[in-house]
Amino acid sequence: MAIYDEENNRLTIKLVYYGPAMSGKTTNLMRLHDILKTDLKGEIMIMETTNDRTLFFDLLPLGFTTSSGLLIKFKVYTVPGQVVHDSTRKAVLSRADGVVFVADSQLSQSINNAQSFENLEDNAGRVGIDFDGLPLVIQYNKRDLNNIISETEVQERWQQAPWPVTFSNALNGLGVIETLQALLKQVYDALDTEFMFLQKHNLTQDAFIKRLIGDYVIH
Amino acid sequence: MTIEQDLSFDHEFTLKELLTGVKTEKLLQALTACLDSPVRILNIKNECLFSSETTDFTAIKPAIKTPIYGELEAIAYLEAHSDQEKLQSAAQLLQLLLYSNSRYLMASDLHIQTQRDDYEELQRRHAALEISQENYKNLAESLDLRVKQQVKTIENAQIKLYENEKLASVGRLAAGVAHEINNPIGFIRSNLSSAQSYLGSFTKLNDAFKADASISYLRQLWQEESLEFLQEDMSDILKESIDGVDRVSAIVKDLKSFSRVNDLAEEDANINEIIRQTCHVSAPQLKDKLQIILDLGDIPHIFCHPAELGQVFLNLILNAADATAEKGKIRFKTQVKESNLSIEIRDTGNGIAESDLPHIFEPFFTTKDVGQGIGLGLTVCLNIIKAHHGSLTIISKQEKGTLVTILLPITHKKD
Repeated sequence: MAIYDEENNRLTIKLVYYGPAMSGKTTNLMRLHDILKTDLKGEIMIMETTNDRTLFFDLLPLGFTTSSGLLIKFKVYTVPGQVVHDSTRKAVLSRADGVVFVADSQLSQSINNAQSFENLEDNAGRVGIDFDGLPLVIQYNKRDLNNIISETEVQERWQQAPWPVTFSNALNGLGVIETLQALLKQVYDALDTEFMFLQKHNLTQDAFIKRLIGDYVIH
Repeated sequence: MTIEQDLSFDHEFTLKELLTGVKTEKLLQALTACLDSPVRILNIKNECLFSSETTDFTAIKPAIKTPIYGELEAIAYLEAHSDQEKLQSAAQLLQLLLYSNSRYLMASDLHIQTQRDDYEELQRRHAALEISQENYKNLAESLDLRVKQQVKTIENAQIKLYENEKLASVGRLAAGVAHEINNPIGFIRSNLSSAQSYLGSFTKLNDAFKADASISYLRQLWQEESLEFLQEDMSDILKESIDGVDRVSAIVKDLKSFSRVNDLAEEDANINEIIRQTCHVSAPQLKDKLQIILDLGDIPHIFCHPAELGQVFLNLILNAADATAEKGKIRFKTQVKESNLSIEIRDTGNGIAESDLPHIFEPFFTTKDVGQGIGLGLTVCLNIIKAHHGSLTIISKQEKGTLVTILLPITHKKD
């Protein structure tokens, strides 16, 4: 649920990278920080334990000001993937406006992916998010590895689902922007009715995405 | 959408919040020293939040200001008499401090939030557990009650079976006894019929007398009717009938004690007499299968329930009969041993298996076929002997026989 702060004319949109442990959520965020050419790009706040596991969350603040003077601020979070941190995951997921589910493509991880996705669905319910109306993208990460699930199989598996599926190698940045783009499309549509981006702020979907991403050319 | 800013860990922090734990006086002192100028920190509406001076130093000499950024946007201004480069460096330093503090604040707020959520979740689970515990408790209580009711029902059924068992052995006697009574009644009936027909002959003679018949006619009639024979035979059949009636009355007398199995009357009685009576009534039942040998010593009367002790002896005789395949013996021996009355009942039946011995007094334990016994015979015996403050022990060897020893204290009726 995006928060509009009238006093500062600021709209804060919360995006969350969800998924099983070690699937590459933090890596996604780090690449976004590297690649994105947003007007306002804050420091990436990474809170990890000694062995590369996210303890609380990671946060990348981004933003731009529309011609109408509205500051649209994006807070992009990752959740801790480990099963034990469920309360933290719930707190971070709370009020999310969009979610990227980062799945691990390795064949050995299919059960973890499924459990984590189920956990996302459960937690969304617990924090009062209407899961069916939630902007969501499924990202299959680590496409560079061997022993991974084939793209055909992934497409077949998610054929019936309403969410777009993307493929990525977050380590070298492949597919990271495409994923965010797919999410932003949905987020724009979901928030446009309430905040009247086009009518009030003359902000089209394309502009909304471009202002955040910059002149990135999709490969 | 405007949402009231709550305690969520990811809310927008104000400058004040970001300076939590920082001593502003010291901060201002440090900034003043670095910039070699008095400093002010303004909010984004240019209102002074903190100042190193008590008076407005910018009124005297114009100062320059530079924004201090939070996550993305300016959240405050730093103002001083300084050059832009120095001021920006100081602002950078301040931003680093704020950034580091925001990291800490978010982590700690998130920690508090999850702790609170976990605690609430725990309380919910605890409440749910308490409800479920209450349900189990209720279930356990009602279960207890239901079990008690069932136990009561079973106990009642057992008491009924136990009472039935007392009568069952008596019932077994009925067939034999009926036969024993039927036999004399048969010949008594036949004798009385003969006597009735004999009476016709005497009536004829009597009529002749009344009609003043001649002596020769009377003599002829006397011979025709064989009245001499009738007289003799009549005497015989009446004697036989009286014997038969005596036999029936003896059986009835013996049986009487058993017809009062539930009679609780206690009296001074002779155990030898009870044994004899029991043997009499059970004799027809045993036919030729079991030979009863009585070795009854000189023993005093004791205060007891004769009917109940009769039941004990009857049960033991019937057990011995059941344990005897073709022909066997049962010997009753009574004597005084120390201050007790000792009754030994030894049979030559097939004995009790060693594995069964520990169970023979348990209610409903039986080795007999279904319908032959419900396994209460010895239980009844033991209970009766215990009620007499006595003891009952059984020694048995398979294929050899069984020895039952009953010891009863010698007591008398208290006046």
